[in-house]
Amino acid sequence: MISIPLLIVGAGPAGLCAAYRAAEVGVDVLILDRAQKPGGQLVKQTHKFFGSEKQFASTRGIEIADILFKRLEDLPGRVELLTDATVIGFYEDGVVTAEVQGKFMKYRPEACIVATGASEKTLAFTGNDLPGVYGAGAVQTLMNEYGVRPGNRVLMIGAGNIGLIVSYQLLQAGVQVAAILDAADEIGGYLVHASKIRRAGVPILTRHTVGLAYGDEKVEHAIIHALDDEWNKIPGSEQQLDVDVICVAVGLSPLADLLWQAAVDMKYIGALGGYVPLRNSDMMTSVAGLYIAGDVAGIEEASSAMVEGEIAGISAAGRLGFSSEESHLLKKDCLQQLRQLRAGPGSEKIRTGMALAGAYV
Amino acid sequence: MQKTADVAIIGGGISGLSIAFNLAQAGVKNIVVLEKNFLGNGATGRCGAGIRMQWGTELNCLLSKYSCEFFEQAQELFHNNIDIEFEQGGYLIGAGTDEEVEQFKRNVKLQNDLGIESVFLSPEEAGEIMPHLDITKIKAATFCHRDGHLNPFRTTEAYSEAARSLGVSIYEYTEVQDILLDGDKLKGVRTDKGDISAPLVVNAAGGYSKLIADMAGVDLPVYSQRHQIMVTEPVEAMQDPMFMGFSLNIYIQQVPHGSFIMGRSDDSEPTDLRLTSSWQFLEKMSETCTTLMPRLGQLKVVRQWAGLYNMTADAQPIYDEAPELPGFYHAAGFSGHGFMLAPVTGHVMSRKIMGEKADIDVSCLNVSRFKDGGLLPTESSVV
Repeated sequence: MISIPLLIVGAGPAGLCAAYRAAEVGVDVLILDRAQKPGGQLVKQTHKFFGSEKQFASTRGIEIADILFKRLEDLPGRVELLTDATVIGFYEDGVVTAEVQGKFMKYRPEACIVATGASEKTLAFTGNDLPGVYGAGAVQTLMNEYGVRPGNRVLMIGAGNIGLIVSYQLLQAGVQVAAILDAADEIGGYLVHASKIRRAGVPILTRHTVGLAYGDEKVEHAIIHALDDEWNKIPGSEQQLDVDVICVAVGLSPLADLLWQAAVDMKYIGALGGYVPLRNSDMMTSVAGLYIAGDVAGIEEASSAMVEGEIAGISAAGRLGFSSEESHLLKKDCLQQLRQLRAGPGSEKIRTGMALAGAYV
Repeated sequence: MQKTADVAIIGGGISGLSIAFNLAQAGVKNIVVLEKNFLGNGATGRCGAGIRMQWGTELNCLLSKYSCEFFEQAQELFHNNIDIEFEQGGYLIGAGTDEEVEQFKRNVKLQNDLGIESVFLSPEEAGEIMPHLDITKIKAATFCHRDGHLNPFRTTEAYSEAARSLGVSIYEYTEVQDILLDGDKLKGVRTDKGDISAPLVVNAAGGYSKLIADMAGVDLPVYSQRHQIMVTEPVEAMQDPMFMGFSLNIYIQQVPHGSFIMGRSDDSEPTDLRLTSSWQFLEKMSETCTTLMPRLGQLKVVRQWAGLYNMTADAQPIYDEAPELPGFYHAAGFSGHGFMLAPVTGHVMSRKIMGEKADIDVSCLNVSRFKDGGLLPTESSVV
């Protein structure tokens, strides 16, 4: 059993920013991440970020991961990062168990920040278990992390930002995109992304979905069809597309399993992607000393994940008795940044969802 | 929801469903089963689902023999095509102490006298049945080839479908909040979806049976204790029998899809109805199982969970009508083997409720025995 002041689960943008703010005022931090290297989903994000300078606008995600990790060196608090370290249990006596590089470990943290991110949602259609059906995150990992093209011709399901960005990245990698479908009336992602893709000649079909994938032991064809106002198939609207990849980008769900185990108060908030923990403006859950940050607290962008991480880091450090003269101002500034990030007309859903979850809005 | 019933059964676990099925089969109409969650959410869906006839008391042998024979013919008796996955790979029970060796000899004699085909084995003979068992850790063993285990979810479905097809109404997500009385007479039940008047009410609420008895104001001398289980990743078939040891404190089986499921007892487990898991169990269970079966040390644990044993002072069930409240019946206190007793529970409770004689005399399993000093010999063959 290892006693530690602060445990952070997840070395993505939220976790790394939390670690920075806590170690900055002198807290020793242990970060556990199940991946082989830190950065979370940033490591597959080759596109440049939007937003303001504070959230690394105009910098590519993969570079942000490096920046966030490198700045953890030489802080007053010591930051230890263990990769290939999967947290597997949160017990009622406060003990956290993990499989760390093949070994079963037990930790007793005084405070904990869960920044586990999200998992991809999937879609039910006939043949969705055939090789060739991918989540968008898997396609990004293959291409951007490992330099492997997933196939030659892709059908993208979902016209949100992830669907649009991954489609563009596929085009850049020389992969054809047969079409992008979305069951909704409108394109969910930024129009600047959508326009780029349309200019490249890829049709974006709203009110469409995939009904069937088939082929000889792998995806070779997909049948798509239009939907009526009641989300039913419109008879006669079927089209066959010859594709070898179907990429499903239909959104994310908070990866909140550990929080369920920790018995924090959870609430289903569709606008935030599913069940999310209730929290206060410090990002603390209903379990004292247990904080959250990033997508696990509600699906948003990496920019807000980083700011939430900072708030959680400052708050957890404060609870452990570590703060500086600037801590208070810093937290206030972070809350202000969050408010700005969520200010746009497109963020109305997020604002409503966050208010339901108890967040500062 | 319906407003009246002839019999209201509280608890949609295997016991309540079996009672409903048996009553309906005997021609009783207008039966409702009330389950506060989904069917099998309690101990039924959380248990090891072992079925064995190797017991240490005559009554338990007879009760379990009845049940085992029922499960062998389940599909015909249920009139449906649900495969309950009854795998009769036997139960291999290991003796860890000299006292157990002597006890096991007596058990086998008793079992054989009752027509149960168990055998007493040397450690070497046990090793032939279960090659990955470290036989230096046991002093002897008993084995019965007709014992086995089944799939508790499929079995729940088989019972509930059979009951439904005989006209039983099953209400899930319907929580009993009170027992309705008219003076000192039973009137029915209050649920969160409305009241149901019923002259006969059966308390088959498993881990929560004491709460239900309290609502009726009747005494039910049971308490619930948390028991934990864990399951490994699936591997190729390597263990046919359920292995069990009492002083060794383990039961472990390999289920049809390849996972090992195992549990143990611990006197320090809480009795406040919590269903949380502990890391201490994970460690102790891993130690027990890898000491006895070293090869399992290579497996990863994928999940752990907990359920409730509803315990009595002699570790035997209560099948009785409450003396204080005519019409209110208990099928409770199964002490960790309610799942395997479900067929006989349904049979004896249905006969009791209809005022008929059952195939097995269970009058000694009354609720008064705890007051009168009439405790039964405690069953020692339990984990």
